[in-house]
Amino acid sequence: MDAGQPVAVAAPVRVTSLTKRFGRLVAVDDLTFALEPGTVTGFLGPNGAGKTTTLRLLVGLAEPTSGEALVFGRRYRDLDRPARLVGAVLEASDFHPGRSGRDHLRALARSDEIPDRRVDEVLELVELREDGRRRAGTYSLGMRQRLGLAAALLGDPELLVLDEPANGLDPAGIHWLRSFLRDFAEQGRAVLISSHLIAELTQTVDRVIIIDSGHIVASGPLVELTRNGRTLEDVFLERTGASK
Amino acid sequence: MTSLVLLAVLLHAFGLRVESLSDVSIQLMVLGRGEFLGALFAALLGAISVTGEIRHGTIRSTFLFTPVRNRVIWSKVLVSGAIGVGFGLAAGTIGAVAGTAALKARGIDLLLDGSNDALLIAGASAAGGLWAAIGVGIGAIVRNQVPTLIGICAWLLFVEGVLAGDVGVLGDIGRLLPGSAASAISGQDPGTLLAPEVGLAVLALYAFALALAGAVTISRRDVG
Repeated sequence: MDAGQPVAVAAPVRVTSLTKRFGRLVAVDDLTFALEPGTVTGFLGPNGAGKTTTLRLLVGLAEPTSGEALVFGRRYRDLDRPARLVGAVLEASDFHPGRSGRDHLRALARSDEIPDRRVDEVLELVELREDGRRRAGTYSLGMRQRLGLAAALLGDPELLVLDEPANGLDPAGIHWLRSFLRDFAEQGRAVLISSHLIAELTQTVDRVIIIDSGHIVASGPLVELTRNGRTLEDVFLERTGASK
Repeated sequence: MTSLVLLAVLLHAFGLRVESLSDVSIQLMVLGRGEFLGALFAALLGAISVTGEIRHGTIRSTFLFTPVRNRVIWSKVLVSGAIGVGFGLAAGTIGAVAGTAALKARGIDLLLDGSNDALLIAGASAAGGLWAAIGVGIGAIVRNQVPTLIGICAWLLFVEGVLAGDVGVLGDIGRLLPGSAASAISGQDPGTLLAPEVGLAVLALYAFALALAGAVTISRRDVG
């Protein structure tokens, strides 16, 4: 990392009374939570709960109706070089099919003065070095997920925001991702991972936030939520079922 | 694009009757088919630089890396503009060369000289650059690729013709429409259209206004 990298002192994520309305639909309803560095936080909820919308608000792809979503103390769009602090993977297929994976990464790297050397590093990291030269249109879903992760890692960020990253990964891939994210957190960085795969999250996360119909129905360290022999699935079904 | 330009120019040169081709304006129009098609392709290119990214979803990564979206749009304007100038230059040159050769082949008295050709080519280059910028703006506003491209084609190939051309629904005001302004820059239809410099100013205004509108709307809207 270069010496110019800002030291991140504020919380990686701090969401305060975040609300997003689409017309009369309240997708995100007065959400408040914060993440600590060195943790992997699972963002769990049924389909349509507002997980993806929250993540989009966090990285500036959508604007809140009220409240705020800050990364390292700033709005994402106010960050000078956001890719150096935050890496996000929101959709699995955000690639031009005619471009090689490597070229896709190089184009993004150029936009932030990141050298090609780093492109090859991240390709190596996600195990796409050989396939990097092939057109992204030929990639399997798992490969596209890994390419997306590679793009998120280009700037060597302190925070990863991932929307259903295990989707399409085979067991080996899921195992790989789990160890990668644990290592990432152990370096003092933070991960926010949204998923509906409860069993998988249980093995990866330190903390859980369960969201339903736009508001938080449970949150806390995984070990606390799953005390007394309850599984995360029990908690999930109980808390999300009750609010319907 | 080059084949279309050749086709358009040669069709006009060999298709029109000798009598009509003996008029300066008509001769300019025949050679000017290059400028017209160059501008169209440039506009489509500019539009695709935005709508293509939206369609393939790469716009998300683009905005994640560069959240100051204005910067992204204006960069696209610059790059598409430069390529648009290239399209205009190529199309304008082919139009002038092929048109001249075709008219001579038919034994028609050529009323145009080197300065006409130079203006045709320079005008086509400018029109290409500016229409590319217009394309970027429209793409950023409409966002959906198919309607954007169809809309641009329909406007240049049909709508403006109805509003400003032979049918002339809008009368004099029709000269101020962007397609007519673009043709004016290359010196076409000197009796009816604007003077070249005025055409350039008018088209530049359209380009700036639409690019700005595109930058503002895409900065404000949520990305899916």
